[in-house]
Amino acid sequence: MSLPSPAPRFAPPSPQTADRPRLELRNLRKRLGDTAAVNGIDLKVAPGESVVLLGPSGCGKTTTLRMIAGFLQPDGGEIHLDGVVASTAAFALPPEKRQLGMVFQSYAVWPHRTVAENVGYGLEVAGKKKKEIEAGVAEVLDLVQLSALAKRYPAELSGGQQQRVALARALATKPSLLLLDEPLSNLDASLREEMRFELRALQKNIGLTTLYVTHDQDEALVLADRIVVMNKGRIEQVGTPEEVYRTPASRFVGSFIGIANLIEGEVDAVDRGAGKVRIALDGGDRLWSRAPARWLADAAPGSRATVLLRPEDLRLEQPQTPDQERGIEASFLAESFLGNRYELKFRAGTTPLRVQTRRRGTFVDGRARLWVRPGSAWVVA
Amino acid sequence: MSEITASHRLVGDSPATSLPLLRRLSTLQPVRFLVIGGSIAILLALIAYPLALLAGYSFVDAHGNVTFDTFEKAFARRGMWQATVNSGWLVLFVTVGACALGVPLAWIVARTDAPGKALVTLSAGISFVIPTFISVISWIFLAAPNSGYLNRLAVEYLGFSTAPLNIMSFGGLVFIEIVGVYPLVFFAVSAALHNIDASHEQAARVLGASRLRTTLTVTLPLVRPAILSAVILVMLDALSSFGAPAAIGTMANFSVITTKIYDLLKFPPQFNYAAAVAMPILIVTALSLLIQKYAIRTENFRTLTGKASADQITTLGRWRWLAGGFCLLVAFGTAVLPVGALVLLSLLSSFGAPISLDNLVTKHYGLIFDEDFVARASIIHSMLLALATATVCATLGLVLGWVVERFRFFGREVISFLVMIAYGFPSIAYAVGILMGYVDLFYGTLTLILIAYAGKLLPIAFVLVRNGIQQLSTDLEEAARISGAGWLRSIRDVTFPLVRGAVGIAWVLMFSLSLRELSMSAILAQSDTQVMPTVVLQFIEDGAVELAAALAVIIVAVSLTMLGLIRLFTRKKTAVVS
Repeated sequence: MSLPSPAPRFAPPSPQTADRPRLELRNLRKRLGDTAAVNGIDLKVAPGESVVLLGPSGCGKTTTLRMIAGFLQPDGGEIHLDGVVASTAAFALPPEKRQLGMVFQSYAVWPHRTVAENVGYGLEVAGKKKKEIEAGVAEVLDLVQLSALAKRYPAELSGGQQQRVALARALATKPSLLLLDEPLSNLDASLREEMRFELRALQKNIGLTTLYVTHDQDEALVLADRIVVMNKGRIEQVGTPEEVYRTPASRFVGSFIGIANLIEGEVDAVDRGAGKVRIALDGGDRLWSRAPARWLADAAPGSRATVLLRPEDLRLEQPQTPDQERGIEASFLAESFLGNRYELKFRAGTTPLRVQTRRRGTFVDGRARLWVRPGSAWVVA
Repeated sequence: MSEITASHRLVGDSPATSLPLLRRLSTLQPVRFLVIGGSIAILLALIAYPLALLAGYSFVDAHGNVTFDTFEKAFARRGMWQATVNSGWLVLFVTVGACALGVPLAWIVARTDAPGKALVTLSAGISFVIPTFISVISWIFLAAPNSGYLNRLAVEYLGFSTAPLNIMSFGGLVFIEIVGVYPLVFFAVSAALHNIDASHEQAARVLGASRLRTTLTVTLPLVRPAILSAVILVMLDALSSFGAPAAIGTMANFSVITTKIYDLLKFPPQFNYAAAVAMPILIVTALSLLIQKYAIRTENFRTLTGKASADQITTLGRWRWLAGGFCLLVAFGTAVLPVGALVLLSLLSSFGAPISLDNLVTKHYGLIFDEDFVARASIIHSMLLALATATVCATLGLVLGWVVERFRFFGREVISFLVMIAYGFPSIAYAVGILMGYVDLFYGTLTLILIAYAGKLLPIAFVLVRNGIQQLSTDLEEAARISGAGWLRSIRDVTFPLVRGAVGIAWVLMFSLSLRELSMSAILAQSDTQVMPTVVLQFIEDGAVELAAALAVIIVAVSLTMLGLIRLFTRKKTAVVS
């Protein structure tokens, strides 16, 4: 998609508000029925930033988004938009007064209005003149490449096109913050992948501030400046995609994003200066692993530890400067061919291990020694 | 969905107290508050108030003490016990008869290759549209003891020594009621049979069950909820029926509960006795609704889709023509014959005259439209009332349906409960409540009748519109809100255009139903506020059946035309967004 120059067309930050977070959540809480759907969340979203709320269904991400939009009122905590209180337990600004844009999972494109009427609705409500509305609509339709379909009705559009209409409608009012609730989950796989990159490019090019909810880790990795991993109404970790993938703060984060091999062991030596520990694995072998600073502070020889190893970081050949002594002994279970790689399944003691390699392995008596890419092991707890 | 503004908690030591007053006021939504509050107030006035009065009157004596004396005295009146027994028998016979007719017909139509299936569906629709007090007229023409044309045919040409048919009897009443209500069973069961996914039955067949065994162990249990619901509706209908019992009872000299209530309200009206006599109907109704809610709803968990596949159609072979004959007979006996008789009678110079071209006249219609005759005013009254009722019900249904579907607050369930009570409530008892509640304010005005029509018919409009709103994803409205539209604007721009189809259907249905309403009109209409059905009943009781027929033809024609309009609304696809 050819994008216009990155001129800041959307809500240019004025000097006073430039440093102010577009969105701030303070200890936000909401009960739905008997469960604490959102249980104390703090978050700031800076202007121009793309933040993704990622988590399994029921983790509270959509509830959080709906509170920000003003469709739900929090039971506790505060929501600030551009530094102004929008929601507390006692006060809620109605959705129409929050100056947000929102893209819904179902698109929510109005079937009785044409594409142009859908997109122009926000401007129409704002009391803009007909000329202005037409210009605004043309501008965003151009942005999402739907100019040719302006007079069509949604029923005549494909899912992907309806998705673009929904996006254009949300952008037309130049919102200070764009909320997206799993906008791509109803698209088919290839279109979804394409739209991810388009959305990301659009966000970067027009300097849009977005808060994006998804349960799809790949989507989160592509779209986010920062990922907020949520579980059971709480934030597990906030970080860049690399941080969240390579140095997850918990077992949950490690297993939710990417495939996680988790091996148990006992701390054998601590090197606080290098931020590393050596772990005597339960199945034999000793392994140097990086570890989070806070965990490292309490670590001492004899304490238990779980190490995260990504499948692509496990090898069948010994590296030149291994972090290990003799390799993890494992028995070969199964192999699947996945086109660009093989996925091998092993078992080390009772721990299942998954390994991704470029070529098939050969094993004597079905045994193998697995080597970890140096510097890739990470302690999750 | 539900953004609760919680304005009642604005005072307090929360962070909100530090907000500027203006900003806090901006969260109040006065229009929404007014519209919703106003609708709920109307709902309470229409339904809760008269019902409370009704219960109150039957338990409280003249001195304001709680008592059961009223019941004792009311039921000790002459003939009251017999009327109650009659009502019981009527309900029993009509229910059994309607099922015996409706279930096999539904099976034939939904699952066999019998000819004439479309005819059955059409005639069931027609006999559903024709109210029983109108079919009474047709059957008087056909089967009055001596002068009925079928009887004369039987005696003169078929060699009967006495007239074989007598519509002016309890048996005749049962017959007319069955013909009037069997469509309920027929439509419910055939819809259920249509909706059973073929795979349920195929699964049983694959496991080795024969066709009969599959029908008994899979198909029947699947349609049982539909049959039970229909049975309850039929029972309530028979119990609260007024038109045919009034017309036939007068001539055959018997009473049922509803006609007794009507008698009690004739001058001088005895409200407390009427209320007490209505109580058994109320109790049975409440029990039935509870049974329906708990026994049937729990069973009704299956969401069935699809249409009958070729596999589900039973080939009847030689029986095919027998089934076809049965279909033809039903269509002829329940639709063709009564409608034909009605039209013929309205044109015949006088009841009893030989049927020949010379004897066909239009003088009855002339009289109906005569300016100095009561019928003309009643037509105008009926039309005005139908317009007003349809508009009030469609509007209220839209607002209340929205409130119940979209607005979470304490008591939203109370709204649907209240509305559904009015649905199950027998018209005649409801009219008594309205009379007690509003007689001082609106005595002898059309407004009094409008209140009764609107309250009684609201449930149907409510259910129709609510279903329409249910099918609309809340996202559609929320998208409007987030685009900057306020509540009222989002309803106007998004919700209303998308449920317009459902609202239109509700409006048309309300119009047709108000046009034919008799039980409440009979109690509430005064000499200046007669409506078409009450005039028809008066004509029947006076023996002026030709005039009754002419006016009835007008009612049926307008009703059918209006219902034809529904096709217009349904053809324009109402947008359904999942």
